[in-house]
Amino acid sequence: MASGQKTTWMLTGPAILFLAVFFLVPVSWLLGLSVFDEGSLTAANYQRLADQPLYARLLGITLTIAGWTTLLAVVGGYPVAFLIARTRDWRGILLLLVLLPFWTSFLVRAFSWMVLLGRRGALNQFLEGAGLIDAPLALMFNLTGVLVAMAHAMLPLAVMTMLPVMLNIDRRLLLASQTLGAKPGSVFWRIWFPLSMPGVAAAGILVFVTSLGFFITPALLGSERETVIVQEIIFQIQQLLNWGFAGAIGVLVLVTVLAILAFYNAVFGFAGVAGSARQATSKPLLSAITKPVGNAVLGGLARVTDALYDALAALRLVGRSASAERGPGYPLRLVTALILGFLIVPTLFIVPVSFTEASFLSWPPRGFSLQWFGAVAESAVWQEAALRSVLVALLAASLGLAIGVPAAFALARRSFRGKQVLFALTVAPVVVPNIFIAVGLFYLFSRLGLTSTTVGLALGHAVLAIPYVVVTMMAVVRDYDERLDYAAYTLGANKLRTLVEITLPLIRPGLVSAFMFAFIISFDELTIALFLTGGTMITLPKKMWDDAVLQVSPELAAASVLLMAFMTCVILAAELFRRRAARIKAREP
Amino acid sequence: MTHSRFDVTRRRFGQLIGAAAVGTLAAPAIIRAQDRTLTVRDPGGPYAQGFKEAFYDPFFEATGIQVTGVQGDHAPTGLIASMVDAGNYTWDGSILSDNAHQVLVAQNYLEPIEVTDAIREVPEQLRTEYLMGTDVVGVILAYRTDTMGEGALTRWADVWDVEGRPGLRALRRSAFDTTEQALLADGVSGDSLYPLDFDRAFAALDRLKDDVAIWWTGGAQTSQLLATGEVDVLPTWNARAQTAIDDGAPVMINWNEALYTFEGWGILRGGPKVDLMQEFVSFCAQGPQQALFTPHLASGPTNPSAYATIPEERAAVLPSNPVFFDNMVKSNAGFWGGVGDEANERFNAWVLS
Repeated sequence: MASGQKTTWMLTGPAILFLAVFFLVPVSWLLGLSVFDEGSLTAANYQRLADQPLYARLLGITLTIAGWTTLLAVVGGYPVAFLIARTRDWRGILLLLVLLPFWTSFLVRAFSWMVLLGRRGALNQFLEGAGLIDAPLALMFNLTGVLVAMAHAMLPLAVMTMLPVMLNIDRRLLLASQTLGAKPGSVFWRIWFPLSMPGVAAAGILVFVTSLGFFITPALLGSERETVIVQEIIFQIQQLLNWGFAGAIGVLVLVTVLAILAFYNAVFGFAGVAGSARQATSKPLLSAITKPVGNAVLGGLARVTDALYDALAALRLVGRSASAERGPGYPLRLVTALILGFLIVPTLFIVPVSFTEASFLSWPPRGFSLQWFGAVAESAVWQEAALRSVLVALLAASLGLAIGVPAAFALARRSFRGKQVLFALTVAPVVVPNIFIAVGLFYLFSRLGLTSTTVGLALGHAVLAIPYVVVTMMAVVRDYDERLDYAAYTLGANKLRTLVEITLPLIRPGLVSAFMFAFIISFDELTIALFLTGGTMITLPKKMWDDAVLQVSPELAAASVLLMAFMTCVILAAELFRRRAARIKAREP
Repeated sequence: MTHSRFDVTRRRFGQLIGAAAVGTLAAPAIIRAQDRTLTVRDPGGPYAQGFKEAFYDPFFEATGIQVTGVQGDHAPTGLIASMVDAGNYTWDGSILSDNAHQVLVAQNYLEPIEVTDAIREVPEQLRTEYLMGTDVVGVILAYRTDTMGEGALTRWADVWDVEGRPGLRALRRSAFDTTEQALLADGVSGDSLYPLDFDRAFAALDRLKDDVAIWWTGGAQTSQLLATGEVDVLPTWNARAQTAIDDGAPVMINWNEALYTFEGWGILRGGPKVDLMQEFVSFCAQGPQQALFTPHLASGPTNPSAYATIPEERAAVLPSNPVFFDNMVKSNAGFWGGVGDEANERFNAWVLS
């Protein structure tokens, strides 16, 4: 028992220590300001929150937008993740398509949506030209515009969270069910779908809490009715230096999110995200009600799908003997193609716009010019920013994995006191608005001499990456059959060898996913970079933001195109390398 | 935790937390004080180029003091407060809006500016004890000429005339500026604008509310809205409208009744290079120097003597141009400093109602 405790400490210690220093200290300092005024304790800030209905209203708007975004991203992401999990040959390409939007700055994406959805935008021009509408549709400056852009931004996150869980589903279970006579619909709804639920739950929570922090998309594409509460926090900090009230609003957001998480835990159980299967069954009363209901619903869906499938088969639209191992049918491919199309449209849209002669992102692009590419290529600042971003992202992702993976193991496998607290701590950085972490870290780093350093920025980004690493890895580790480890021990392997030769290779998809997550989060991160770089050191999002504050010019589009081209090459090269390695391995005796 | 631990001001509270972490980093600050370089924050983009040619390079030639301009966050108040609190001066000085500087002065984050002969040439409404204005920014009314017609709008009241001047309108989603515009439209004269009558302003805004298509939130957004013709009429900063005009968009600026504000250099309190900054700030007050940034930046020089060397064509789009400067109304940042929070809360609730 004592040695078990020691292992738990070794696994969770780094995460606890790291988050205590770089997350709890700076954030509690800011929260402290909300109850201190000129040296005395005060409730004035909270009184104001309670007295003014405005803040509850803003919170309501924020939750509504995040809720819809989560629904859209998870429902839209599910078929994509499913297809990627089920095809071997196209996996690399499909992943590339899912990740492509990540490599355009979210600001550029927001502005491309403006050009696409505007009153005189590309879509309205097209529809009017085709004679389908008489007057321009209101696609933007309303909830529709915000949700389109937010769902677009969150879809990759949803796919990437669900994917590792789906990849870990044991194919033999599907085969077994078929052998026992299940039709494709039943195989999916009764076997695959329940097994993929942990991924869906994890994706739901991650997308929801991440959406809560989004403010630029609602500000640019929404109307006044889509004003989110984070905008108010930023206004209080930047315009009024009223950190006390900003802190109070932050506490309001935090408490709301914690309440929602607690509710989620009570109803669904954190089994999917945090706990283990054992914990899920520890709520016998609830599961006594939900289980039969769930089974009935899934059974119904299975029957409907089977009937549909039979109908399609009768029409010869799908093969009658389609098996789970032959991969997905055409309807799924079509749906996935549409969703992927939605994902890459604004991205592809950037390409022609970057060759325009105009100084705005506009449709149709005017003339042909390489001036914007020239401007980027000549600029030492762009190059420095790109290098710095890659370096910081690599550091942050490595650090995030080194700290987050052991913690995920402990959370998913071991039972110890304070487990829920540790889980809450590791996911807390997602819940707390980034600007809080940013300002708090700036204060802390000023004293440590870490502002405007690569290491400081990487530390800050690691704080943000850890929740994603932990949630992704827990979902994977939870599904991992621990008996394989015991088998290795029995065969004489020590702990290290088991870890290196058995456990790590088996959870590799999860590790790769988690690393990419952490990398992308750091690479695309702006708020912390704004505060920690102080202008003397620059990252790509920071450079793009600085430019965009003054003017969103096609230079940003050109930089995005170059970045996309570069990342596409990297990912394609990795894919080629993987295929060649696989071929060589296959040739070996 | 003793009683005295709680008996601190808000800023001290922050200092205490970090003080335990390390002994202060005074040493690097002392080393930096000996070199004759300055790091200042400017808004980047056209500012960076304009200020380099007008201020940084000429100042180096004149004094041997090297000034590095770094592009900083558009509302740098939080950063500056943190730098001064932490005693870690990434910047020695910063371009600040009148508004931002009022916020910082209220919490004692800036050094008083030493008034030199050059600075005396700058009119008093374009500088304060803590801020030396370098450029004047206009909050103007911009409109599309293809849909509205040239010269269609000449005053704020015309924005409210929806029947007579149909077209899509956008207003700023903020109590700043929007309140002033509503009052001017409602017939309040520029001289008696402050203190602002919020009840009257909101009554005027009530009448227009249903006809406001978009409540915009950022300057770059307004350039885009004008350039693509997403809306026909909107108030924005003159440089934002100018970008659209320079790109060939059919957009016109109405200067009559335009509001103006100014930005300029503020010096971070207690930094290691306050003396060098004073020298630099005084240098930037000179008219001939200020004239040099105008080719890059559509903001007006604060020293009137700058217009002696600015070509007439360019002067026509600069806010401090004497031709229309007299018909402009100064935005009172000092007034907003006291009521900004409350007014914006009311505005945000109103806009959602």
